[in-house]
Amino acid sequence: MVLDSDPVAFSNWIVPALLSFLTSAATLCAVALVGGYLISAFRYGPVGGGDVIYRMVLGGVRDLIALSPRRILALAWLAVQESLRRRVLVGFGIFLLILLFAGWFLDTQSNDPATLYLSFVLTATTYLVLLIALFLSAFSLPADIKNHTIYTIVTKPVRSGEIVLGRIVGFAVIGTVLLAVMGLFSYVFVIRVLNHTHEVDVASLRPVPNDPNGDRAGRTSLAQNHRHTLKIGPDGTGSTDMVQGHFHEVTAQESGDKTTYVVGPPQGLLTARVPAYGDLRFKDRAGKASDRGISVGKEWKYHSYVEGATLAKAIWTFSDITPERFPDGLPVEMTIRVFRSYKGDIEKGIRGSLVLKNPRTGRASDEKFFIAKDFYIDFLKIPRNLTDPTGKPLDLFDDLVSDGQVEVWMQCLDASQYLGVAKGDLYLRSRDASFTLNFIKSYLGIWVQMLLVTSLGVMFSTFLSGPVAMMATLASLVLGFKAQFVLGVAKGAIEGGGPVESFIRIVKQQNVTTQLEPGLTTTVVKWADSVFMSFMTAITGLLPNFNQFSNVSYVAHGFDIPPDAVLVQVFSAAGYVIAALAIGYLFLRTREVAR
Amino acid sequence: MAEVIVETRNLSKVYRDFWGRQKVRALKALDLEIRQGEIFGLLGPNGSGKTTTIKLLLGLLFPTSGQALVFGRDATDVSKNERLGYLPEESYLYRFLNAEETLDFYGRLFDMPTAVRKKRSAELIDLVGLNLAKRRQLKEYSKGMARRLGLAQALINDPELIMLDEPTSGLDPIGTREMKDLILKLKAQGKTVLMCSHLLADVQDVCDRIAILHQGELKELGRVDSLLKVRDETQIRAKGLSESAQAEIRSVIERHHGSVLTMDNPTTTLEELFLSIVRDSEARPGRRAKQDN
Ligand SMILES: Nc1ncnc2c1ncn2[C@@H]1O[C@H](COP(=O)(O)OP(=O)(O)OP(=O)(O)O)[C@@H](O)[C@H]1O
Ligand SMILES: [Mg+2]
Repeated sequence: MVLDSDPVAFSNWIVPALLSFLTSAATLCAVALVGGYLISAFRYGPVGGGDVIYRMVLGGVRDLIALSPRRILALAWLAVQESLRRRVLVGFGIFLLILLFAGWFLDTQSNDPATLYLSFVLTATTYLVLLIALFLSAFSLPADIKNHTIYTIVTKPVRSGEIVLGRIVGFAVIGTVLLAVMGLFSYVFVIRVLNHTHEVDVASLRPVPNDPNGDRAGRTSLAQNHRHTLKIGPDGTGSTDMVQGHFHEVTAQESGDKTTYVVGPPQGLLTARVPAYGDLRFKDRAGKASDRGISVGKEWKYHSYVEGATLAKAIWTFSDITPERFPDGLPVEMTIRVFRSYKGDIEKGIRGSLVLKNPRTGRASDEKFFIAKDFYIDFLKIPRNLTDPTGKPLDLFDDLVSDGQVEVWMQCLDASQYLGVAKGDLYLRSRDASFTLNFIKSYLGIWVQMLLVTSLGVMFSTFLSGPVAMMATLASLVLGFKAQFVLGVAKGAIEGGGPVESFIRIVKQQNVTTQLEPGLTTTVVKWADSVFMSFMTAITGLLPNFNQFSNVSYVAHGFDIPPDAVLVQVFSAAGYVIAALAIGYLFLRTREVAR
Repeated sequence: MAEVIVETRNLSKVYRDFWGRQKVRALKALDLEIRQGEIFGLLGPNGSGKTTTIKLLLGLLFPTSGQALVFGRDATDVSKNERLGYLPEESYLYRFLNAEETLDFYGRLFDMPTAVRKKRSAELIDLVGLNLAKRRQLKEYSKGMARRLGLAQALINDPELIMLDEPTSGLDPIGTREMKDLILKLKAQGKTVLMCSHLLADVQDVCDRIAILHQGELKELGRVDSLLKVRDETQIRAKGLSESAQAEIRSVIERHHGSVLTMDNPTTTLEELFLSIVRDSEARPGRRAKQDN
C-alpha cells in the first residue's frame, strides 16, 4: 500500500480540528443569525425582526433542553418500520447476487487475489450501503410532508430536532444491521474464496543437491492458477515458497510403507501488519542535509526523490528499538517508487542499498542490496548478527542501536535514476494484528460513511423535495469523493483552468496547456472562474472528504488500520452529523409544514 | 368568566406561490376567543378558511399577519401541544402500522411511560370501537375506521383542548351519533372543543357557540341558541291533539292577533341561517359580523 500523506496522529489532529469545527460552527451561526435577522427585519421591521430572532434562539435552547430519548427512539422506530416497508431488504438481495456473480468479474489470474477480493467486497458494500442510505434518508421526510402524515407528528410535543435526529438514528440502525450482515457474508466469502490447498507432486520431489540437512525439493499441483515449489526436511515437515502472497505448510505422514503429503491451508494471505514508522530526512547529491529530496513533478508531491550514484540519501530514524520488541532482528518492509530519467530495462527495476547506522557513534553495517519496482512490497530481514563494511561482526542492538534509536540510510545505485520515498514507505513490521479485527474496523469506516450520507440526506430533505434532496446528497457525495480534484481546480493546480475556461477550451478544441489569448474575454473568463472557484473551495471545504473515511486500501493491502485513523474518522463524522442536525433542525423549524 | 384557551387577533393568511406571488387570501383578520369548557363550531362553505384557521392555531401554518394564541402561547410554540389533541381533515396516519402500534407510537411522542400507554390505547381502541381490527394494518382500514383511529389518536394524551376538523365526515350514522355524544362527554369533563364542519345538524346539536366564515371573513359569531332564536316567531309542536283542540288553539292565536305559520315538521333552522348568511355575503361582500356573545 502506498500512503499519499503522513499517517495522522489523533493527538495532533484533534485540537486544530476542534478549533476549525468551532470556527466553522461560529461562522455558520453568525451567517444564520444575520441572514435570519435581515429576512425577518424585511418582513416585520427592525424591532419585530429582532424579536423573531430572539424568540428563535430562545426556542432553540428550550428545544435542546426538552429533547426526549423516548420520542427520538419512537421516531427512529418509525423510520425503521418505514424502511422495512420500503423493502430495504432488496438491497441485501442485490448484495448476495453481487457476491454470487463476483467470480465473473474478478480476474482469477491476479497475483494478489487477497487484495483483489477484499477491495472488491469492501467497495461493493460501500457503494451499496451508501446508495441505500441515500434513498432512505432523502425521500423519507418529503414523503411524510407530501402525505400530510407529518401533521399528526408536529402537533404532538415533538421538537424539530427530534424529527431529524430520530430519522438519522432509525436509518443508521437499518444501515448498521445491513452492514453487520453484509460484513459477515463478505468475511465468509473472502475466507472461502481464498482458501485452497494443493497436492504435492510426488514425482517432482528430488533431494536438494549438496544439502547437508538432506532436504528434498519439489513442486505442488496447480490450484487457483498457481503452484508452489516446496522444500521438505528429513523430519517430514516443510513449507512452500510465497506465491500470490501466501505459503503452505507441508507435512509428510508415513503410514506403513506409504508416505502421504498433506498441504496445509494458505498462510499469510490475510494479514494486518502494524508498521512502525520512522522520521525521514535527506542528504542532497552533495551530501548536505536537507528536509526533502528532489521533486520530479507535481503528481507525486508527497514523495521526494534520491538521485542515483551521488551522495544523496534518504535517512529514517526509528525509535524504541529493543530486543524485546524485535527478538529476531529488524523486519524491514518498503514500497519504493522509481523514476527513470532514461528508460533502461523496465523489467529489471532499480538498484538501491540500505545501511544501518548508530545515530550516536556512527558505526555502520555493511550494505544490504535491493531492487526497487513500483507498487511492490519488498522485505528485508535484518538479522541480529551483522558485519561491518570491513567484515568485523556487529551486534544489532549492542553496536548499532543507542538510546533505542537506529538509522536506516538508503541510497540509489544506478546513475541518473531516482528512488522516490516518503515517511511511510519504509517501516518496520513490528507485529501483525488480527485480520478479523481489521476487517471489522474497515466496516466501521463504511458505517461512518453511511452515517454521513444519512445525515446529509435527512438534512437536505428538511427543505428540499425528495428527488432534489437525493440529488443534493449525491452531489455532496461525489464532491466529497472528488474533494482533492475539486480543490485542485479551485486552487488552479489542475491544468486548463476553471469550469468556464475549460468549457471554452472544449468548444475551441484547445489544448489545456496553451495559454488563452489575452484580451477582454479572457479577463472576464478568468474573473468568472475565480468567483466560481472560490465558491467551490468554500463548498468543498465544508463537505466531508469521503476518501478520508475509506479504509479499503489498508485492509486490502494487508495493513492494520491505524487506531488513530479510526478515531479521526469517528470524530470528524461526529462533527458533520452535529452540523447536519443543527441545519436540519433550523430548516424544519422555520418551515410551514402544511404548505 | 372562564379562562381563554384559544385566541386569534387580526389573524390573516395569504397563500403564496414559490415566487411569493399571492395566490389566495384564505383568512382575513379573524378575531376569536374560545373559552374553557365550550364547544365552538367553525362553519362555512367549502374553501371558506376553516381548515386554514385550525392549521394556523396548530402552528402548521404561520400567519401572514396577526396572532394565533393557544393556552396564551404563540401557536408555533411546540410546548402547547402537550395539552392539545388534533383530528385532521383526513386520516393522515401511517398506513403500515396497525391500530395498537399507531396509538403506542403517538403515546411515545408524549413521552408517556409504557404502562400508561398500554392502558390508554386499550381504552381508546375500545372507545372508538376498533377492538376487532386493532391488529390490522391501517392500509386495510375503511375510511370511517381510519377516522375513528384518528380520533383515538387525538385523545391519547387526554387533552384539554381538542381540535376536530370535520369530525363526522366518513362516519356512519351510528358513528356520527357516537361522535356527537363523545363531544358532549368531553364537554362534561370540562374540555374545550373546537370543531369545524359544514354538517349543520351536527353543529347545531353540540355546539355552544359558532362562527360562520365565508371566503375567509367572519360573518356571524354567537351562541347557537340566541342565533337561532327568531324573536317574532313562535313554533308550536304538540302531540295527541284532536281536530277540535287544534281549532281551539288557532282561535286563541287569532284572538292575540297572531297568525299560524306551520303546524307541521319544523325545518333545520341553522341551515336557513347559514344559507341566508352565505347569500347575503355573496350579495354584499365585505360586511363583517357584529360581535355579540
Ligand atoms: N396549501 C394551499 N395553497 C394554496 N391555497 C390553499 C392551500 N390550502 C388552502 N388553500 C385555499 O385557501 C382557502 C381556504 O381553504 P381551507 O382548506 O381553509 O377551506 P375549508 O374551509 O377547510 O374548506 P373545506 O370545507 O372544503 O374543508 C381555499 O380557497 C383554498 O383553495
Ligand atoms: Mg377543511
